[in-house]
Amino acid sequence: MSVHEDADPLMHPEVQQSSVFGYLSGYAVTVLLLLLSMYITIAHMLPPIPLLGVLSGLALVILIAQAFLFFGLDFSQHHIWKSLSIILTVPLFILSIGLTVWMFHSLDGLTMMPDMPGMSMQPTLLQ
Amino acid sequence: MDAQVPRDGKLPPLWHYGHEGHDEISTKTLGFWLYMISDSLIFGGLFAAYGVLDQPMSFAGGPGPAQIMHPVAAFGQTLAVLTSVLAYSLGTLAMKTNNKAGVLLGIVGAMVLAVIFLGLEFNDFAVLYAHGATLQRSGFLAAFFILIATHGLHMMFGLLWMAVMLVQVGRYGLSKEIVMRLLNLRLFWQFQASVWVCVYIYVYLRGTFS
Amino acid sequence: MLVDLQGPWSPLFGRLTLASIPYSNPIIIFAFVFTALAGLAVVVPVLYYRKVGYIFREWLTSVDHKKIGVMYIILGLVMMFRGFVDGMMIRTQQVMADGPHSPGVMEAQHGYLPPSHFDQIYSSHGTLMILFAVTPILTGLGNIIVPLQIGARDMAFPTMNAISLWLTAVGAMLIMASLFIGDFSDAGWVGLTPLTELPYSPSVGVDYWMWAIQISSIGTTLNAINIITTIVGMRAPGMRWDRLPIFTWTTLSTNIIGLTAFPILGVALALLGADRYLGTHFYTAGLGGNLMLYTDLFWIWGHPEVYFLVLPSFGILSEVIATFSEKPLFGYITMVAATFAIAGISWAVWLHHFFTMGAGPWVNTFFSVATMLVGIPTGVKVFNWMFTMYRGRITYTTPMLWSVAALILLLVGGLTGVMLANPAIDYTVHNSVFVIAHFHCMVLLIAFTIFAAVIYWYPKVFGYKLDERNGTWFFATFTAGTAITFTAMFGLGFMGETRRLDYLYDPSWQPLLIVEELGIFVYVLSCYFFCRMFYVSIRDRNLNRCGADPWGTSRTLEWMTHSPVPFYNFAVTPHVNARDELAFRRSVGADETPPDHYEAIHMPKNTMIPVLIGVLAFGFGFGMVWRIWWMAGLSLLGIIALVIFRSFVHDHGYLLSGEDIARMEGKASQMSIMSETQDEMAMAEGVH
Repeated sequence: MSVHEDADPLMHPEVQQSSVFGYLSGYAVTVLLLLLSMYITIAHMLPPIPLLGVLSGLALVILIAQAFLFFGLDFSQHHIWKSLSIILTVPLFILSIGLTVWMFHSLDGLTMMPDMPGMSMQPTLLQ
Repeated sequence: MDAQVPRDGKLPPLWHYGHEGHDEISTKTLGFWLYMISDSLIFGGLFAAYGVLDQPMSFAGGPGPAQIMHPVAAFGQTLAVLTSVLAYSLGTLAMKTNNKAGVLLGIVGAMVLAVIFLGLEFNDFAVLYAHGATLQRSGFLAAFFILIATHGLHMMFGLLWMAVMLVQVGRYGLSKEIVMRLLNLRLFWQFQASVWVCVYIYVYLRGTFS
Repeated sequence: MLVDLQGPWSPLFGRLTLASIPYSNPIIIFAFVFTALAGLAVVVPVLYYRKVGYIFREWLTSVDHKKIGVMYIILGLVMMFRGFVDGMMIRTQQVMADGPHSPGVMEAQHGYLPPSHFDQIYSSHGTLMILFAVTPILTGLGNIIVPLQIGARDMAFPTMNAISLWLTAVGAMLIMASLFIGDFSDAGWVGLTPLTELPYSPSVGVDYWMWAIQISSIGTTLNAINIITTIVGMRAPGMRWDRLPIFTWTTLSTNIIGLTAFPILGVALALLGADRYLGTHFYTAGLGGNLMLYTDLFWIWGHPEVYFLVLPSFGILSEVIATFSEKPLFGYITMVAATFAIAGISWAVWLHHFFTMGAGPWVNTFFSVATMLVGIPTGVKVFNWMFTMYRGRITYTTPMLWSVAALILLLVGGLTGVMLANPAIDYTVHNSVFVIAHFHCMVLLIAFTIFAAVIYWYPKVFGYKLDERNGTWFFATFTAGTAITFTAMFGLGFMGETRRLDYLYDPSWQPLLIVEELGIFVYVLSCYFFCRMFYVSIRDRNLNRCGADPWGTSRTLEWMTHSPVPFYNFAVTPHVNARDELAFRRSVGADETPPDHYEAIHMPKNTMIPVLIGVLAFGFGFGMVWRIWWMAGLSLLGIIALVIFRSFVHDHGYLLSGEDIARMEGKASQMSIMSETQDEMAMAEGVH
């Protein structure tokens, strides 16, 4: 990978890597899978927790497809750092969002009163 | 020390002449990619906040997600942003053949669709405000609005960037600096589509059944 | 206005009125006089010797990573001094205000500081020390050393480097401004909600705190992008990953933390800002807010942040200990692995800052175990340093003294940290000064390594060594002060003293409080030796000029440049053949071999844009704090316009010819980081 300083910028791999096929298929995958997600949700085909699981799975597939088809990420010398950095960032999302949600769920179970009719009505005295 | 001193006693090369092999375009795009990673964590934090405030206590007697989310209508916004990203990406394909007009066309197409996206979003917000579901109404609504608005703000900055690129591509053609900026803008814009996928699924779709 | 502001507001001046200036507070008046005199002591000589143009041309508009690093360090040291004064004031108040019969002077019922003022002092002490003293100094060190260690000419984005510096400086300036115009936050450096919400902190203090941190965090994130890209993409040929100096490895992992954690801080503060400016209910007590959300988001950043501070310190320890034991670092691969293990695990431990907030035993257990796990890679590092010293030929120069003392502090701080990682123990000492003593051991070890690094690398940057005698006195007094103050504080923690108290209700604490105050006096003495060290060194600088390798036993690439480093770093990019390249070349007798010819190199030009962005950023911050909307709005538009404008400028550099370089290399020993670049080139041509 020695692209000389004076080389034609248009010959750079990041310019040349893009393709009609990649972008159109990325677009199609995203639109179709989101359409599928919308349909599954509106048609009430699954109970909430499995539905969340399926939607998360679909989201993951879409994002990976976009990583590959839109961003062109792979493990070649040109893209290795981008790929590595995004792969290592994913656990940070899981940790920060996942542990937060778990923590608040546990906290609410210990500190909040059980759900009774009319409990969601809040007094509006405090600003 | 792991260096190899050859048997004939000659020293290994001490100095490097000529080009150092540092590719400026790759350097700049890597830097921008790292910025996008930090940007993605901003959205991560906002999603965490939304996850915490998306529960009945935070509705404060006001509307919850089921009352304000309309996935089918939001699919219109989804199509707008995705097609905008497609338009811009196809525009950058024109760089391969030094086709200035193609690049400009792609940018213009992306801008038009982005404006449509923002218009649909503002309209959404206006309807909500008309029904009293404002930013200040409850913790849940605050989280919802700020998350969506942050994405919208990114789209607006992207529009500004695209406008500047229209001027620069028109005036200076496809020089190295312009190519770098177009590549970075592509990263930025495609990223907006990725964020919107998460928004659509975890806010609009999940809102209807949690 | 969307929120209920207490006090007047006008479209032109926002909340700013003459009453915002605390001219009736004698302590502030004293601080103002002192600061003004210090400022004059700098400005008057600059004007007298007609150096304004020089400062503007060579320093303020510089994009040279070494000069930017030096400015970072100067900023950090000045802010460290102010933070130290804050610390002195805290200690003095507490020793005076112990017990119901303790005297009160001026406006205070006990001691000399009324509660609101005391609260502002410990808030600024924390904020300044962590974010505006230690962070800039470590950033500055990384800025100077990392490009040299990897054989690069500059950072990947020189202009962005300068912008990062000025954004950090703007944050510090906002906190200085809060001293004289308005007041500062009284809610601690953490800024817990709902205390920082508008109804409970109606003054501008929390806004100052919030915007200072937000603006400087942008600088830190940009700097992280810069350094990571530099390390990944701009290494000299032959500088493989397994040959990277250990300080560069730790800088890499530190900035990965910086890149990923600081955005979360941005979110936490932005949501607080939304509450304070837009009337939203993210963290409020009613209408659906969640107070603990702030605590959660803040500490998701807050814990990786402390590793952001400590990992470069570990890198410094590795460099200094290896050099002064005349041995290669023991266990290079495990050191690197341990560094990344620490960085990775640090992302999963944040709840240990609020074990007591009710998340429950399962959650607490998870975070407790994760916290204790961090001790394992840290222990690996400590053992590696000890094995590096074992059977080495140790010279106790001042950097080595600081490093050994840092190791001892790491032991105490680390062990007390593992104690705190246990929720059962934490429930009894949470919010007591035991916690304060623990983390002061950790941040002081960071300070020790900072002093080690500054003394170690000073000759490389400035071309002469710092005075060892005064340096040793500085070390002795500073370490003694640390030992005295914080040993007493551990004791007081066990005796039940809570933190952040302006009035202490238990007179039986008095003896240990007096011991702490004695420790502070010893610290003050160390300030004297610190100043004396610099004074003597600068006075005698021409007697102590040194060559490329002032310590004689250095091992890594940066010691191959001249001292001081010329503005172009290496005349010819070195080809790297080994880990510890200089030590390798010394072993084959090639450490003095010059290149046989010189080629032209491309250097970046100085630019005014970063300073202008800094000025506008200050305008934005000040405008937002005082709700002067036109000032904030115009400043923000100005920054955007500047960035767009700069993108239309084409030529960002100039070419330095091979002949110029050859001549400057010949005169390298007469150069200085303080001289003008053109003067250096003219001197090389023999014109001067």
